Amino acid sequence: MKSLRAQRHAVPPREPKAGRRVGPNTVNAPDRLLLDTVRHSGYRVVLLMLAAAVAAAAGLLLPDALAGAVDATVSGERSWPQVLWLLAVGGAEIAADVAAAMLTARVTAADTAWLRRRLTRHLARLGTASPYPDGDAVSRLTTDCTGAGTVASTLVQLGSAVVVSTGAVTLLAVLDWRLAVVFLVSVPLALRLARSHLRLTADDLTAYQRVSGELSARLLDAVSGLRTIAAAGLGERESARVLRPLPQLSAAGAGMWHTQARMVWKAGLLLPAVELAVLGAAGFGVLAGRLSVGDVLAALGYVALGMSLVGQVPQLTNLSRARSCAGRLVEVLDTAPPEEGTFRLPAGPGTVELRGVRVGEVLRDVDLTVPGGSTVAVVGRSGSGKSALTAVLGGLRRPDSGEVLLDGVPVERTRTEELRTAVGYAFERPVLLGATVADAVAYGSWAGSAAVERACRTAQVHDLVVRLPEGYANPLGHTPLSGGEAQRVGLARAVVRNPRLLVLDDATASLDTVTEARVERAIGEALPGRTRVVVTHRAGTASRADRVIWLADGRVRGVAPHDVLWAEPDYRAVFTESAEGTEGTDP
Amino acid sequence: MRLYWTTLAAQWRGALVLAGCSVLESVPAFLSGRLVERSVNAGFAAGRPWPGVAWLLVFAAVSVLGAFGSRLVWQRLGEIIEPLRDALVRAIVRGVLGGSAPQRSRPDASGVARITQHVEVVRDATAGLLVQARGMVVTTVAALAGLFSVAVELAWLVAIPVLLSLAVFACLLPTLASRQRALTLADEHTAEAAGTVLTGMRDVVACGAEAAAVASVFGEIGKQETAAVRMGTATAARTLVIAVGGFVPLLLVLALAPGMVASGQLTAGAALGAVVYLSATLRPALQGLAATTSTVVLRLLVALRRLSESCPVPEAEDGTAEPRDGTVGVRGVTFGWGEHAEPIVRDLDLELEPGDHLAIVGPSGIGKSTFAGLLTGMLRPQRGQVLLGGEPVTEIRPALRHRLVAFTPQESYVFAGTVRENLALLAPSATDARLLAAAERVGAAALVDRLGGLYGELGHAAEGLSAGEAQLLSLARLYASPAEVIVLDEASSHLDPAAEARAEWAFAERGGVLVVIAHRLSSAVRANRVLVMDGRETLLGSHDELLSSAPAYAELMRAWTVPVSPRAALPATRAAAR
Repeated sequence: MKSLRAQRHAVPPREPKAGRRVGPNTVNAPDRLLLDTVRHSGYRVVLLMLAAAVAAAAGLLLPDALAGAVDATVSGERSWPQVLWLLAVGGAEIAADVAAAMLTARVTAADTAWLRRRLTRHLARLGTASPYPDGDAVSRLTTDCTGAGTVASTLVQLGSAVVVSTGAVTLLAVLDWRLAVVFLVSVPLALRLARSHLRLTADDLTAYQRVSGELSARLLDAVSGLRTIAAAGLGERESARVLRPLPQLSAAGAGMWHTQARMVWKAGLLLPAVELAVLGAAGFGVLAGRLSVGDVLAALGYVALGMSLVGQVPQLTNLSRARSCAGRLVEVLDTAPPEEGTFRLPAGPGTVELRGVRVGEVLRDVDLTVPGGSTVAVVGRSGSGKSALTAVLGGLRRPDSGEVLLDGVPVERTRTEELRTAVGYAFERPVLLGATVADAVAYGSWAGSAAVERACRTAQVHDLVVRLPEGYANPLGHTPLSGGEAQRVGLARAVVRNPRLLVLDDATASLDTVTEARVERAIGEALPGRTRVVVTHRAGTASRADRVIWLADGRVRGVAPHDVLWAEPDYRAVFTESAEGTEGTDP
Repeated sequence: MRLYWTTLAAQWRGALVLAGCSVLESVPAFLSGRLVERSVNAGFAAGRPWPGVAWLLVFAAVSVLGAFGSRLVWQRLGEIIEPLRDALVRAIVRGVLGGSAPQRSRPDASGVARITQHVEVVRDATAGLLVQARGMVVTTVAALAGLFSVAVELAWLVAIPVLLSLAVFACLLPTLASRQRALTLADEHTAEAAGTVLTGMRDVVACGAEAAAVASVFGEIGKQETAAVRMGTATAARTLVIAVGGFVPLLLVLALAPGMVASGQLTAGAALGAVVYLSATLRPALQGLAATTSTVVLRLLVALRRLSESCPVPEAEDGTAEPRDGTVGVRGVTFGWGEHAEPIVRDLDLELEPGDHLAIVGPSGIGKSTFAGLLTGMLRPQRGQVLLGGEPVTEIRPALRHRLVAFTPQESYVFAGTVRENLALLAPSATDARLLAAAERVGAAALVDRLGGLYGELGHAAEGLSAGEAQLLSLARLYASPAEVIVLDEASSHLDPAAEARAEWAFAERGGVLVVIAHRLSSAVRANRVLVMDGRETLLGSHDELLSSAPAYAELMRAWTVPVSPRAALPATRAAAR
């Protein structure tokens, strides 16, 4: 069976229903989200800015305090007032740095978590209408939220780096304007030396990544053929085949280090070059009597502070990354969820009506009535639209056109919680969720332990559960279940909700015929008079249903009892495929 | 991972070269304070500009020398890092592909991607450790040494706080490492929880359990937040320790030096030099050391640990028995996954002679592939024995077993390389003629022609081939193998029925034992014996025998056998149900 999600992704999101991006004016939406994020941090971000401001101010005062203390020291005078001042300034800087580090962690963690919660809530609201593949959504929730969550700390760091650098240059100018001029002239020259290396390593990196990708592709090929390799004992030989490009990778890697060697050492000269230029200028200042010996040290300190902006260049990358991450988050958050229904469901036997239902190319022009209390089998080759049909019945998927009525009320406009209690679903490959086996059965319902046990007896899985080390309380993660066992737990989960309409989407495919018949009978006894829609590949199951809906190429080919349809060779041919779950035949 | 350290240790020659480069790198840090002091005291402050400038030029020359040292380090880095990465990659590929364990414990595609990522982190982090962290250590040591050479009187004032803070920092490292690991795990758990809910969204919606699903993800998000804050607190503590360790010596020197200068114990120049060492070289180096070491070391440790956790170690196969002939015997075999699971086969007996053609039919997920694993010796039965030529199949000399028994699963193994390489996988010495004949027999001749003959090239991930075409190549490969027992596990599921029939007939005429796990029931009609696996019981017989004796099989086969059936067949089924 193809999963519902797989089919969902094949169909592009529809206008103007679920899956629609709202607002063409989304140019500044990422920035707005980032702003909201910063604003959400509230007082903590204010504290962070305060700590950063104190650290910047103390950092800027430190060279001058040092100069004072050094001058006193060199002249052999009593230095304790200057040293105390230095202690106060330095202590303030350290305290502010530590506070900023802690606040940064808190703000970033809280912002990331806030974004993640918002995104999770929205993805849940989108439900099965979400146009985002699972892996993509997970990466948005993890990587992109992390990226966007750093925005507050990145902004604060950039801001304080700008303040510190400009402050340092200003103070250098106050000390001696010539020093500031020398600094400002030497920095661009030194930067040009360092810049060239960034470009060249990027080229080398691509070469390395190409070979690395080739190696991964080979390993992936082999992993997809693992069963063949293991059965033929070819592990060693195939490893050698996969590893064939390894020497190339080594060579590319070595080349990368060599290029870096050629480039990086120039970058290492950046700070000394500027330092020496300023030192020389300061030396002449001492000579002319404008500067003291301590002032030379202060100038060195200002140079280091002034250069700190260069070290903050990665923060600019971080900022643009935060923006692009925010863009990907906004994309999800701006996808409109399906409208909530408001209609109440009247008491009824569970009659289902489909009127002109179309779902993409999968299901076309389906008009059907399933009388309340009857059992209907849905039969057809793989790809004939069986799963789409069952999904539409309980509102798991909205038809592109047409209407589905449950006891006379449009499913699409029924209140969600009422619809979920009225329709129970069991699938061929159920995804079991919850902490324990009992949780998995009661998932999303308020069923107590007695009801859970009753449902498990009905689904013929009670004996298996009580044999588990902790019975119903066995952690789901420590309960390996075969396909058939998982199917029966999934059945129990559908039965426990006591629905008026039970939809079994190939939900007994992996059970043996005896157990399948037992489950069928037990469900009949536990939920008497309920409507049942059963997708099946087994002629026996179809023959026990009141009527069979025969689907072919997305259309209803016939609705009649099994024995009547059996006269058609095409209908019999549906049952000659023994195994499902594959793509069918290749042309 | 032990491999990491042994490989690293094997690179001792490279390490010696690095040590040599380090000496060169340390020169500017060692001389910085002394040269600045000279330039000021002997030059500018003494009213003599040219000596001042000259000393600065010496400083410039020394800086170039140091930068040259780091250039040498980068050049030599490849000789240490690349062999290390090679060794890791080799061990991992062998671990993933080696052994004969069933596929359950092996990494999948995303697992492979994750492992590759870990290897790159190890590579980068080791490089970072060797370049940055080593450089910072060198600078710190050199600055301390330079300071001692200028003002040995101040040595203890400086050394004690610095060493103390480094010791406290070292004590903090385990906490940092465990919190970093907790954070990494919390990240992974968040992704897992979200992934579970998102892949199960159909079920979440069907159960109306959106609130419960959101709550489960929120729980992990909250834990991740706590872990991140805890990590941040530990990092802040690290910042504090190192900052204090760098600042206290400066304060002590400035507070005590005036007295020493006044009493003549210390020259004013030496005091100035000491302050330059402390403020311009030592403090930044210490801070850099703390920042890079802890990030890089933590990344390295976490990646190594994750690697050793996620990379399987291949188990060796053994066995010495020699089979007598090409018969297959299954004697009282029982097998189930785990002790609580219902057995997939129970007390099964089966004898297959060369020439026998067995079809296995049953619903999907019932354990047919598991049975194939038992037949080929990839799995060991919990009770009973599978015999090949009278010997237990798992005891047979592995190379011989792999030659005698060949197996092809539903997913075909087609790799980048020539068509010939692909077809000759199980028979490396086969002639071109034999390979072409095999392709012809199973109906893959036209496909081989289209691909450019035996020497045509295939791309990655069976690019340009349909699933059916990939299966045709696998079948031709299997046909060309020297195997006497052939197991096809839905190996023709993507072929159309006519092509499937042609391939199966070809294998039936090839001789030896043929076992076909049927995708379509028509496979059973072609076989001379049929095994029906239906969960609680397994039935064995010819197609005709089963039709008359087994109602479940008869029901399965109704589409062939009963053109139009009234309710006649129904009571039998019902009876079987009770």
